[in-house]
Amino acid sequence: MEREGCELSRLMRRIAETPPEFLEEPRLGPQGTVAVSAVVGDLCRWHGIQPESAALDAFAIGTPKSDRKRLRVSLLLAWVLAEDWFRSVDLRQLPVLGLLLHGASELCEYATVEKLVADAERREELARFCLARLGFRPQGETRAQAEDRLTSLSAAERARVLRASRDAEARARAVREALARKAAEESADKYTRE
Amino acid sequence: MTEPTDAERYPTLTESGRRLLERLREHPHAPLFRNQSGNRLTREDVETVRAFEQEIAAAVVPEQREELASWLREFLQRCYRDVPFYRALGGVPRRLGDVPCVSRADLGHDVARFVPDSAPLERLINFRTSGTTGHPLLIASHPLVAASYLAFHRRALGRFGVTLQASSGEVGVVLLGYQRKCFTYVSVTPTQNEAGLVKLNLYPEDWRHPDDRRKYLEGLAPEVLAGDPISFAALLELGASLRPRALLSTSMTLRPALRQQLETTFGCPVVDLYSLNEAGPVAAFDPALDGHVLLQPRMLVEIVDDAGRALPPGERGEITLTGGFNFCLPLVRYRTGDYAALELRRGEPTLVGLEGRAPVRFRTQAGEWLNNIEITHLLAPLGLEQYRLHQAPSGALSLSVVGAAQHEAELRAKLLELFGAEQVLSITELDTAAGKVLQYSSELAS
Repeated sequence: MEREGCELSRLMRRIAETPPEFLEEPRLGPQGTVAVSAVVGDLCRWHGIQPESAALDAFAIGTPKSDRKRLRVSLLLAWVLAEDWFRSVDLRQLPVLGLLLHGASELCEYATVEKLVADAERREELARFCLARLGFRPQGETRAQAEDRLTSLSAAERARVLRASRDAEARARAVREALARKAAEESADKYTRE
Repeated sequence: MTEPTDAERYPTLTESGRRLLERLREHPHAPLFRNQSGNRLTREDVETVRAFEQEIAAAVVPEQREELASWLREFLQRCYRDVPFYRALGGVPRRLGDVPCVSRADLGHDVARFVPDSAPLERLINFRTSGTTGHPLLIASHPLVAASYLAFHRRALGRFGVTLQASSGEVGVVLLGYQRKCFTYVSVTPTQNEAGLVKLNLYPEDWRHPDDRRKYLEGLAPEVLAGDPISFAALLELGASLRPRALLSTSMTLRPALRQQLETTFGCPVVDLYSLNEAGPVAAFDPALDGHVLLQPRMLVEIVDDAGRALPPGERGEITLTGGFNFCLPLVRYRTGDYAALELRRGEPTLVGLEGRAPVRFRTQAGEWLNNIEITHLLAPLGLEQYRLHQAPSGALSLSVVGAAQHEAELRAKLLELFGAEQVLSITELDTAAGKVLQYSSELAS
């Protein structure tokens, strides 16, 4: 959350005004109506991002049983990311596809699309989640304030923080083990030693 | 632990390199080599190091101002993104001065938190510091980082008109130690067409006959001798007839009298390097500037006060480092525990009045002189947080240590074994609030 983003209310209003088309069923095989991969592809190109077709496949494959929920959230996220403010900042180097794919998977574990749209707290969570995953904090907030509020609101964020903490501990353990290996102890040539 | 193979130690070894290793190990006057190590450089690494050497040779070290360090912003952003310790601090502050300083104690607490997520673990190596300022350290590094030292040595030697020329079949460098216990081995340097590298211990116990030390060194005729003032003092006592192109001195303050004696004896420049395991060679002493000239173009040196505030040029304070070439341990405002002032001298950023770690010798009951490093090694297994050892004119020792009550019996036993059963020794609790610990001191003239 290095950079300041837009006002939170702007995104929350957009979420509340999600058109019914973005709440339709995603197309998976013979079922559903909306081709989420096409929507994501259009969104990316609108932002100047050229997604590879393999990356878009992840939004077209799966079964209703296992992938419907996440693709519905991807579709909702695509609507949010089409807000004009996102066009005013350069998203080309930011993890837009990661947000649409992995972010959607995380969110769908804890909330339905209907709840994310209808419930004021969930709308705030979704708005903050979008900004945070792209490295922004809401306008007028410090990084610490934004992090605190997101963590308290979002079960997905809490799960992410927990996961990150576990990953960090695993990495630290791996570093300690690597440093203790015989090969590491033998070190390597230096022309002088301190 | 799996024992590394020679193919891992010397990935690019040729037949000529193998023959040289054999000669170094099997020389009739060779010492007992106690360890094994190698350059660990792949063919690709060798090219990378050569390119780095060229870059460093041509680089300019600018005046040490934040706004002149064009690499700094990107470096800080990378650290705050990729290094667990810095990531936990939040966003990157706008000014370097707003970043909190870190010290040896922070690295010593858990060095893993300072290793970037992007650092490749499969080739991680470590260097252990001697702990001369009270905190023994394990430093994360990489064979490329170790090999890159030579780029800065070449730059320092260039100031004295010395260009390294040793090549295949010759010995490039002998690293000298003088300690009871010392890591010793032979290797070759691929960036110098496999010129030999020998790390040996001048302590007599490592040799079949004390005179073998002189004969072996004369047989090797190394282009460079590297060591510290204590091992160089031991070298002088051997009376070896050597003609190296340069001596590289590290680890401790090199007193002018010893420098002069070494220069006269060996007929070559003696380059006093300010070098740390944590950061590599930082500066080299230039007599013409009467100070240590900075060597690293991608390192920002600050002089800070006790509160970590940067001091203006010319004011004396603690040397604090940001940047460097060890990509396994990027430093941000790292307080070294060493003191100097920073000035521009003839346009070059120069550390003036560098107060490093002066060598201290202690006398045993039997009249034997011990290097302070012996004490460091002796006490290392106890994992002491901090301690201070002082020898009075009478020879009495006083040890101040954190956790004195807990360790007293073991400390007493170890020190009396080394110094003799009749040694007078007092052990007290160290007052850590008293500021920087001068770890070793002696009022005995050695």
